[in-house]
Amino acid sequence: MLRAPGGGLRQGAALPAARTMLALALLAFGALRAGAGSYLAVIVPQDPTLLIGSSLHATCSVSVSSGDAPTAEGLYWTLNGRRLAPELSQVLNATTLGLALANLNGSKQQSGDNLVCHARDGSILAGSCLYVGLPPEKPVNISCWSKNMKDLTCRWFPGTQGETFLHTNYTLKYKLRWYGQDNTCQEYHTVGPYSCHIPKDLALFTPYEIWVEATNRLGSARSEVVTLDILDVVTTDPPPDVHVSRVGGLEDQLSVHWNSPPALKDFLFQAKYQIRYRVEDSVEWKVVDDVSNQTSCRLAGLKPGTVYFVQVRCNPFGIYGSKKAGIWSEWSHPTAASTPRSERQGSSGACEPRGEPSSMPVRRELKQFLGWLKKHSYCPNLSFRLYDQWRAWMQKSHKTRNQDEGLLSSGRRSAARGPSRR
Amino acid sequence: MSQREGNKVDLQSHSSASSFPHLEAKIRQTHSLARLLTSYAEQLLQEYVQHQGDPFGLPSFSPPGLPVPGLNSPAPTRSGLPTLERLQLDAAALNSLSPLLDTICHLQADLNPFACRLLRRLEDASHQSRALGSAVEVVLGVLGAAPGPPGPHPILPESPGVFLVKLLGYRVCGLYHEWVCCTEGDLDQLMQEGLG
Repeated sequence: MLRAPGGGLRQGAALPAARTMLALALLAFGALRAGAGSYLAVIVPQDPTLLIGSSLHATCSVSVSSGDAPTAEGLYWTLNGRRLAPELSQVLNATTLGLALANLNGSKQQSGDNLVCHARDGSILAGSCLYVGLPPEKPVNISCWSKNMKDLTCRWFPGTQGETFLHTNYTLKYKLRWYGQDNTCQEYHTVGPYSCHIPKDLALFTPYEIWVEATNRLGSARSEVVTLDILDVVTTDPPPDVHVSRVGGLEDQLSVHWNSPPALKDFLFQAKYQIRYRVEDSVEWKVVDDVSNQTSCRLAGLKPGTVYFVQVRCNPFGIYGSKKAGIWSEWSHPTAASTPRSERQGSSGACEPRGEPSSMPVRRELKQFLGWLKKHSYCPNLSFRLYDQWRAWMQKSHKTRNQDEGLLSSGRRSAARGPSRR
Repeated sequence: MSQREGNKVDLQSHSSASSFPHLEAKIRQTHSLARLLTSYAEQLLQEYVQHQGDPFGLPSFSPPGLPVPGLNSPAPTRSGLPTLERLQLDAAALNSLSPLLDTICHLQADLNPFACRLLRRLEDASHQSRALGSAVEVVLGVLGAAPGPPGPHPILPESPGVFLVKLLGYRVCGLYHEWVCCTEGDLDQLMQEGLG
């Protein structure tokens, strides 16, 4: 049979209104209704905040409204589920049990330690949450960076002690140095727990003052003010389109090309790039510094027949005339390529930008020689490219010679052995 | 014949020949949803107790039956009710639970602001409770059973102690689990009775 609409729910759903209000009142006074009994208990103090190492005196008072309500004699305390030693408790009167805790440790959880008053049968009569911790320390080491001059992200550290055992709120504030109102950062935890991101509406060529305020139940602290210009803390995206390729047949070289980060393409006159590379099965990166403002580079002195992973990053140094060091971008995604196979072993690598002499003495001397030849018009078309082609040809000839000698050697040996037997 | 057998739901009489497969599919779908949410509700309860600290997570934890204004546990006597009537109670309870879970989520955001997974589960539970309640109402509607009247909108007391806040959340998460389990069982019963 179906219940007609408006017939209400028969069982197990709604309390009558009067009982609902009573339950709310009981809850508001921090009391509990224990099962079907009609007795209440109250813990004082409710939710205290205390310094680590301090003491606490608390009471659990049972409100008697029926004959079988528990007396203080049967009550006991637990803290975070662990029963407290009886000697810490004291029956103050027929309905009140006292508690004395000394030298409190920091709270076990940020929601507060659970101090509970129990009846003899273990049922919970009342509870109070203790917050034991330390006031916040002054936040330190504020560092900020701007991605492509469009936003500002700041990070800080909570102070030397770190753990306050209490929920500590951090607010990053900023304002233009000589005018303007205080602004509050809204987007927190963007790059870790102590960080904030300001996505827009930032001025260039005007310094900002930035600081962090820390607050918890035990107090507050403010960091030193950091003053910075957005243009002095610019970073950018990793260089896109990184390509690594072989240099003809040269078994110890790879050529790396990339594009400048598009967001700052028109501003990167003085940008610096850095390359790092490693052998496939190694974790050790080799870094090539001072690639200066160009978008290609040649790695030399590599091992033949080896797979290399290469990454590039950019520092938008000197943007809008900034004299500061700039901030390196993240590394580009690794790009892999392999050097041609050879029997010769490569030595440690170095970057040889195209057309530029390496630091090796031979190539330095060769460059000088080529320069002299050009100057005296003996060989106007000579260049490093031609030199590399000659090297590739030499290596090929060397291989061919070795193979021929190998064949000749085996031929001589078989001739020495005589005709094969059948 | 037991009271329950006398109240078997004849699904075919409640639907035309063309819509019976649709009804059957809807009931199965709702049952699957209830089964999934039962599992989620268990996980929510476990996640919840972890963040409140002991004794909440202890096997010996035996909290008082804290009254939640507007909602009780499923009564033991409900098993004697007809299936459709039990489903009416389920739908009403699930709809009442949605704002309660939302409120617990806000309270926990204050108490445990970094418990992201717990807060997400509470938020999801609020939505899922309402979704399941609506799905059950749709089934009831197709079967010609009007949903029961909505329960009173739950009101949280002002400034309850933190321990009470923790207990309240435990109670609400427990109620959610109980009612989702009941809903799953009642839908299972409906399928057995009506779909053979």
